[in-house]
Amino acid sequence: MSQTTSSTYGSSPRPGETTWLWLIKIVTGPLLLVLLILHLTVNHYLGSSSSGLMTYDDIIRYFQNPIIPAIEILFLITVVTHSLIGLRGIVLDMNPSRRVLSAVTWLLSLLGVASVIYGIWLALTIASIGA
Amino acid sequence: MHNTRNQPSARRFLSWFNPIGRQTGSWAFILNRITALGLTLYLFLHLIILGRLAQGPHAYDSFLLLTENPFIKLGELAVVAAAILHGLNGIRIVLTSFGVGVTRQKQLFYGFMAIAAVTILFFATRMYMG
Repeated sequence: MSQTTSSTYGSSPRPGETTWLWLIKIVTGPLLLVLLILHLTVNHYLGSSSSGLMTYDDIIRYFQNPIIPAIEILFLITVVTHSLIGLRGIVLDMNPSRRVLSAVTWLLSLLGVASVIYGIWLALTIASIGA
Repeated sequence: MHNTRNQPSARRFLSWFNPIGRQTGSWAFILNRITALGLTLYLFLHLIILGRLAQGPHAYDSFLLLTENPFIKLGELAVVAAAILHGLNGIRIVLTSFGVGVTRQKQLFYGFMAIAAVTILFFATRMYMG
């Protein structure tokens, strides 16, 4: 029933996925496309070689502009959120019990927070090296 | 039928890989899930490897030499392809979620996949011949 509904009317929150989580996934998707194009363009078209930022020195120099770590951190938060909500959706496809789903939700939240903290630390470390 | 579907089951996950009797929507669903898993794996590998930047120039630059390896290049192309397929298929999902092109999902899917094929070919040419 739910499959018929979703294939006829587009995607909708799956059972066990709150509307908020679904909405965040749907909104971060297009945002990610923009950020990814930006990320790839600057990483592969700026820098000392024709292939882009291909050396340590290139990246250190690139991170001197404060807007760069800011964009990279925004990209990191968006991509981690989108991917982990998506991963939870994939787990939902296997119809986990309430307990398993709750454990998965905690585990993914923890992984997300840890990744974001690590990424922010890394971006600020790189920015501080060249300062 | 409804009860069976609601049983916890890893078989439903494995059934994505069964190609028999699929319709277009089903292929789109599988493609989205498989690329999602690949991209998530890549995301975390990418974050871990970028940690080398904190260890100094030698740790990072020596690692980057690996990108000259044709097998690593193939892996990079796979990541680019997965991102393009997932992104374009995702646009279709966003459009239909907000009521756009709902009755033309199949055409949307084929159209986006045609754009994906051309884009992937462009990147492959650039990576191997550029």
